[in-house]
Amino acid sequence: MRRELGWWGLILPAFLLMTLVYLVPIGQVLVISVTEPRLGLENYERLFTSGSVQSVILTTLRIGGLTTLIALLLGYALAYKVTMSPPHRRRWWLLAVLVPLWISVLVRAFAWVTLLRREGLVNEALLAGGLIDAPLRMVWNEFGIVVGMVHYMVPYAVLPMLASMGDVDPRLLAAARGLGAGRTESFLRVFLPLSLPGVIAAGVLVFIFSLGFYITPALLGGGRTLMAAEWIKLQITDLLRWGLGAMLATVLVVAILATLALFSRVVDLRRLFGAGS
Amino acid sequence: MTQTFQQDCVELLQQQHQRGRISRRAMLWGLAALGAAPALRRPAAAAQGKQELVLVNWGGIAMKGFDEAYGKPFMAENPGWTVVQDSSGPSAGRIRSMVESGHVTWDLCDSSAASATLLSGMNLLTPVDYGVVRKENVIGPAFAVEYGAAPYSFSNVLAYDSSKFPTPPTGWKDFFDLKRFPGTRLIRRDARTSLDIATVSLGADPKAMYPLDVGKALKRIGDIKGNAVYWNNGSESEQYLRTGEAVMGCIWHTRASVLERETQGRIKFIWDQGMLQAGIMVIPKNNPGGAAAQRLLASMLAHPEPQVALLKLMGNGPTNPRAAEMVPPELRRLNPTDPANVAKQFYLDETWWGKNYQDANAEYLDFITG
Repeated sequence: MRRELGWWGLILPAFLLMTLVYLVPIGQVLVISVTEPRLGLENYERLFTSGSVQSVILTTLRIGGLTTLIALLLGYALAYKVTMSPPHRRRWWLLAVLVPLWISVLVRAFAWVTLLRREGLVNEALLAGGLIDAPLRMVWNEFGIVVGMVHYMVPYAVLPMLASMGDVDPRLLAAARGLGAGRTESFLRVFLPLSLPGVIAAGVLVFIFSLGFYITPALLGGGRTLMAAEWIKLQITDLLRWGLGAMLATVLVVAILATLALFSRVVDLRRLFGAGS
Repeated sequence: MTQTFQQDCVELLQQQHQRGRISRRAMLWGLAALGAAPALRRPAAAAQGKQELVLVNWGGIAMKGFDEAYGKPFMAENPGWTVVQDSSGPSAGRIRSMVESGHVTWDLCDSSAASATLLSGMNLLTPVDYGVVRKENVIGPAFAVEYGAAPYSFSNVLAYDSSKFPTPPTGWKDFFDLKRFPGTRLIRRDARTSLDIATVSLGADPKAMYPLDVGKALKRIGDIKGNAVYWNNGSESEQYLRTGEAVMGCIWHTRASVLERETQGRIKFIWDQGMLQAGIMVIPKNNPGGAAAQRLLASMLAHPEPQVALLKLMGNGPTNPRAAEMVPPELRRLNPTDPANVAKQFYLDETWWGKNYQDANAEYLDFITG
C-alpha cells in the first residue's frame, strides 16, 4: 500500500503540471462558449441554425472520413506487406514507413504543390506523354487536400495495424491452407478478422487526427475549403467572435472524446497510444 | 490564416536578402524600420525606473539595430526613453485578450483601420490624442483616424501576366471579364478588398459605393468563382502568379513590384483603381507607457526620411506629406502614395469595413468555400 502511494507520488508533479497548464486553460477557453457574447447556449444554437457552421462541420467530416478510408486501405496493404516480409527486410520497410513522419508537414505540402500544380511535374509528364490534352486540376481543391492528408496519415494508420497483424499466429494461416482454404479464402476468413482490431484502432486514430488538420488544407486547398481548425482560428484571432470559436472547439473535443469512448468498447485503446503489447 | 500586410513585409525582406538583392545591413535596417525586432520582453522596466515603450509588430526573427527608423528618432528627441520592439504579432484577438486580462504590456501596435474600429467598439483602445499627434503630418484623413494613425501606407493593385494578354487590362471590370481575359483569377481570401473590387467592376464610383451591397458583390464574385484561387499570405500570392497558376490577381503592391522586377516584366501591375490602405498603429487601453505612446506615434509620423528609406527597401508608401518629393525619381512609379499614383487609386472605406467586417467576411468565406 505504502509502496503504491510512492508511485503515485512520482507522477504527481506531471499530473499537476498537466492539470494546471493544460487542462485548466482548455477548460477556461471552453467555458467562453457559454459566456460569450452573453450567458447561455446561443452559440450552440448555431449548430442547428447556421448554414455556415454546418457546412464547416460537414466539410471537416467528409474530408476526414475520406482521408481515413484511403489511409486505411493504403496502410493495410503496406502493413500486410511489412508483416509478411522476412525480419531483416521488415526493418527497412519500417524505416520507409517512418521516414515521412520526420519531414515537416509544411515541406510535404509544398512538395505536393510542386508535383500537382498546373505546370507541375505530374501534369507536364502526362501532357508530354500525350495522356491528357489539358492540365488536370489536382491541387487547390479537395483532391489536393486529401492527397496531402493521406500522405501525412498513412504512417499513423500503418503502426497500429502492424502491431495487430504481428499478433496473428502464422500457424493459423498455415492451418487454414492445410484444411483446404485458398490464399484468398485464408486471408478473408482468418487473417482479416484477426487483424480487424488493428484496423479499427488505426481508423479511430487517423480520423481524430484528420478532424484537427490545419496547415495542409490551408496550403493545398487554394482557399476554397474551410475546415474546423481554420474556422476556429478565424473566429478567435480575426473576427473576435470568441464564443463561436470556443463553441466549435468544444464540439470538436466532445466529438473526439465520444469517438474514443465509443470505440474503447470495441478495441483496446491503450494499445492505440502505445501502451502495453 | 490570413496574413497581414505587415507580416508579409518582413517575409519579403528576408526573401530579398536571401536572393542577394539587398545587403544584410539593409535587411536589418529594414526590419528595424518595420519594427520587426527581437521579442525583447520588458524586464520589469518600471521597477528599475527606466522609461520604456513597447512597439509591437509582426516580425519573427531576432536581430539588433531594431530602433533605427521609429525608435531612434524618438529616443534622440526624448533622452531617458527606450523603445523596445516586440514581434509577437498584435492581432485583434491578442490585443483583446491582453486588455481584458488586465496585464497590458504593449504601448503601440501595428494594426489596421478595421481592427481599430472593431477593437475601439469593444472599448479596448485609447484614442489618438491629436493635440500631440499632428494631423498635418499625414497626407490624408485616412491616415489619422480616431483610434489610430499610420506611418505608412500600402495598396491592393491589379497584377497580370503580360505574356497571356497582348492588350493589358485597365481595371477591375476587365478583371471580371473572363471572355476577353481568360484564365485563373487570384483574390484575397478576405472580404475586404474582394467585395470592393467586385463592386467597382460593376461600374460603381469608388468614392460613392459605400455602404457596399454585400449580396450584389458576392453575386459578382460568383462570375469568376469557378476560375478563382484565393491567397492568404503575400508569398502565396506571389507564387500563384509567378508559376502561371493564376494570370491576373488582386495583390499587395509590394509583391507586385517584386514580381514585375523578378519576372523581367512578364508580370506587370497597374495603379488604376488600386485600393489604398493605411498601416494604422493603435494604443491598447491601459498601456504601460501611458501618454508617452502618443509622443512615439507623433514622432513616427513626423520624420519623412526613415519613411522614404522604408519605401526604397520594401515599397511601403510614406504618409508624411514632405516624403513624396524626397523619393528618388526612379522610385516614384513604385510609391503608392506618390501624388500621381494616389490620383489613380481610391481609399477603402475603413469605417464601413470596421463595422461590417465580421458579417461580411463570414458571408464571403461561406460563399467562396461553399
